[in-house]
Amino acid sequence: MDPMGWLYAIPLRLRSLFRRREVESELDEELRDFLERKTAAGVADGLTTEEARRCAVLELGGLEQRKEDCRDTRGVRWLEEFLQDISYGFRLLRKSPGFSAIVIFALALGLGANTALFSLCNTVLLRALPVQHPDQLVVLNVANEATDAIRSFSYPMYRELRDKNTVFSGLIAQAGAEMNAGYAGESEKARGELVSGNYFETLGVQPLLGRLFTQADDERPGAQPVAVLSYEYWLRRFGGDPAIVGGKLILNNHPMTIIGVTPPGFYGTDLAQATDIRVPMMMAIVFRPFPANRLQNAGHQWMEVLARLRSGVSRTQAQAGLDVLYRQIHEKEIEQLPARVGDYRKRIARSSHIRLLPGSQGLRQLQDQFSHALVVLFGIALVILLITCANLANLFLARNAARGREIAMRLALGATRGRLMRQWLTESLLFASLGAILGLVFAVWLQHGLLYFLPASERMNLGRATIDPKVFGFAFVAAAATAVLFGIIPGLHLSRSALSPQHGDPRLAQSDMSPRRFRGALVLLQIALSLPLLIGAGLFLHSLRNLKTIAPGFEESHVVLASLNPSLNGYPPERTRALYDEFLARVRALPGVRSAALATGVVLSGGWDAITVNVENYQPREGEDMNPYSNLVSPGYFATMQMPIVAGRDFDEHDNLQSGNVGIINQSMARYFFGDRNPIGKKFGTDSSTPPDIEIIGVAGDAKYVSLKEKPQRHFYVPVGQQPRLFDMTLHVRGSGDPRLLVSLLRQTMQRIDPNVPLYNITTLAAQLDESLSRDRLITWLSTAFGVLATLLATIGLYGVIAFSVAQRTREIGIRMALGAQRYNVLWLVLQQVVLLVLAGLALGAAVSLGGVRTLGSLLYEVQTTDPMAFVGAAAILLGAAALAAYSPARRATLVNPSIALRYE
Amino acid sequence: MSRSSTLVQGTLDFLLLKILSVEPLHGFAISRRLGQVSSGVLQVSDGSLYPALHKLEQKGWITAHWKPTENNRRAKFYSLTKLGRKNLARESEEWDRLSNAILTVSQLKQA
Repeated sequence: MDPMGWLYAIPLRLRSLFRRREVESELDEELRDFLERKTAAGVADGLTTEEARRCAVLELGGLEQRKEDCRDTRGVRWLEEFLQDISYGFRLLRKSPGFSAIVIFALALGLGANTALFSLCNTVLLRALPVQHPDQLVVLNVANEATDAIRSFSYPMYRELRDKNTVFSGLIAQAGAEMNAGYAGESEKARGELVSGNYFETLGVQPLLGRLFTQADDERPGAQPVAVLSYEYWLRRFGGDPAIVGGKLILNNHPMTIIGVTPPGFYGTDLAQATDIRVPMMMAIVFRPFPANRLQNAGHQWMEVLARLRSGVSRTQAQAGLDVLYRQIHEKEIEQLPARVGDYRKRIARSSHIRLLPGSQGLRQLQDQFSHALVVLFGIALVILLITCANLANLFLARNAARGREIAMRLALGATRGRLMRQWLTESLLFASLGAILGLVFAVWLQHGLLYFLPASERMNLGRATIDPKVFGFAFVAAAATAVLFGIIPGLHLSRSALSPQHGDPRLAQSDMSPRRFRGALVLLQIALSLPLLIGAGLFLHSLRNLKTIAPGFEESHVVLASLNPSLNGYPPERTRALYDEFLARVRALPGVRSAALATGVVLSGGWDAITVNVENYQPREGEDMNPYSNLVSPGYFATMQMPIVAGRDFDEHDNLQSGNVGIINQSMARYFFGDRNPIGKKFGTDSSTPPDIEIIGVAGDAKYVSLKEKPQRHFYVPVGQQPRLFDMTLHVRGSGDPRLLVSLLRQTMQRIDPNVPLYNITTLAAQLDESLSRDRLITWLSTAFGVLATLLATIGLYGVIAFSVAQRTREIGIRMALGAQRYNVLWLVLQQVVLLVLAGLALGAAVSLGGVRTLGSLLYEVQTTDPMAFVGAAAILLGAAALAAYSPARRATLVNPSIALRYE
Repeated sequence: MSRSSTLVQGTLDFLLLKILSVEPLHGFAISRRLGQVSSGVLQVSDGSLYPALHKLEQKGWITAHWKPTENNRRAKFYSLTKLGRKNLARESEEWDRLSNAILTVSQLKQA
């Protein structure tokens, strides 16, 4: 239509919609006026009043017909009908509240589960960094012959790349830093980050308060003691007091000026990290003081580097350009390597080249860890939705069968098939919308529940996983698709059967075989889809059970962990050692403490220091991995952890700087380097330029260090007494009684020694172990819940079909019984249908499963995806459920009284 | 729909616009005027008149007002809108071209 036409049309259409009665009476008045005038004209021509009126009506071609024609021109008919359909739908909904409640509840479950998982996927996998134009960001990565994922860079390399590249509008560097943050006499551990001066500018972050530092704040080492707080930290620690800007914070015994606060929602470049305080990179001399030449040493790689592409430069172009520059700089560095660095390492270094990874989601640590599990769960949820659709289609088919008479009547009165379909679709959309609304409520609950499956440290930035427009959009689309699926199938079917000759009598309409077969097919589909879900759940349960039976190599119960780092408070080395000694002595004297020890590393808490070793009489091959994990422990560590010393002895007080270096290795390391020979008394070293100088005095049992799933790892321990400097250590305390009580005792003890040294990362070893299984638990419980839900839906569907068919065949059964059929014949008549359906469903399901479960492989621990137990178990559960569903209708069939059944007509 | 109309598709709209361009009229008057001006040659059935008028109104080419008429009754008077005038001018031109062309062709046949 002419755009100007709308100026006239819109008010008219609104009027036809909202002033319908007025418009109708005007139409009536107009046409009546015409008839009267025409009649009057006829009378004037000499006709009688009746004749004239009859002629007038005849010429008009019927008053009501013309009215309909005029209504058609209004262009709002579809909307009127739509509103009619909706009110009709609501009427139906109210008429059978039980049916409606079941449908809406089932939809809410299906849609809610999908929405919750989509929302989680959206937050974890899809959402971009909270910065300007995140799509322009890239993460720098180095790949070489030995590995393809080095994400650490040295400061000199970063500086050269930043200053000489032509492809980026900004190149930023960041590195974590441990911080003790003191304010108003109270000291607390904070998560710190060293970031390059151009960090905020390049990311495009605006301050919420004050200012953010710039390149000018990051020119000379140690010169700019300024700090920027995150919004969350500002709220938590300072109650959101704006006057804090300009104030002084004591960070690691160093006064730093708070210059600004970042906006809410900004968490940096890693979803798995929530940083409290950011300071300029040049403050590394305060926050990461060792090695002292950190900012000058090209061999020390410790920073992550991200960049923003210059506009118009693609990632591939930038990578090509940057790689040339990188190799030039790197080659110079290799030439300056000391002579003792072997040719092999030089060759590896020369094979290094730069890669640019998409950076719109930053470092993607959390994403990489959870993406597979989330995608699998999302897939399962979609299957559930499909099963729900099949189930509802079935319910609607059954209900529509009862509406056969109504449909026939409407068709007879001139309704078109399309019009009926539209009405059914409107009805199912109505159900789906109500289901989606309730589903959103479910989704919010479910999502909160799901987040608690993740370790606390990793969901810090997910707390705000809210239902955003994208999630709403998803819920809407899912609901619409669902409505189409379960609305159109019965619709298609009904309009076909309604047009069939027997449509007059609903009972007769159902005696036609095809709807029953059709409903059978829907149940078959449900069984076929439920089977893989149950198999998946079985596999995950088996896998989780395997994980739980893994012997971790230590006893996790009754051990409390607490970390501290007095060196951050400016303690010199001797005082640090004295503090540790005193703390340990006092803790050991506490009531209920059985043993206590200090260690730098905590099992199952993340990474370890892997240290390159040389071993006497052992010549490594070129490129051989000579980097076992290491841990610095105090005497009593093995007793506290209850790790057995299988040979030799534990460390004791005499292993100090004055005595010869000693170490304890684990069984894997002993086997790897010494085979069957006795390792006690042999030597290894950690400095390749000198001969091995650490004497092995003991062999400890193997344990799980990074993850329960790992293969045995080589590991060695050296005593704290022989380290010149100590930094952060974690106290391990084995005690009896309530761990919370123990924690408060530990806190009091530390308070008495120095109130400014905070204890942090306080947890128990059992919780640590538990958290390491969080992902496996999430997927196991969810997949089990989904499997049960699917089975339940399939069982209900099966019950509906069997019960309905028995009811339909009452007469037939009566006749059969009258003709001499025995109860077992009747039973078989009913069961035959069940058995056929279930077996066909299981066969189809098994085929689907064989393909589907293959995607689970890497999520399982020591379980084959073709685990026969899972397959047989799942099939048995479905068979049992089917037997349960068939029992009562089958029994009813055998109780049919022939004389009553035949009188039924 | 009455099938007595022998008019070409779209002709009725043109005729209605043309008649209304002279003065606002109600439906019955339009029906009469149609008969008069074409000396009874162009017969428009009463049945197709009202839907056509309503369609033009919905398109915004004509607009309607209720006006009192003789002996205290009121009737719905249709009049041309600005948009209607524009379209009438365009269609007039079109019709002139078309009828000229037809005329030429029909005279050719006679010769």
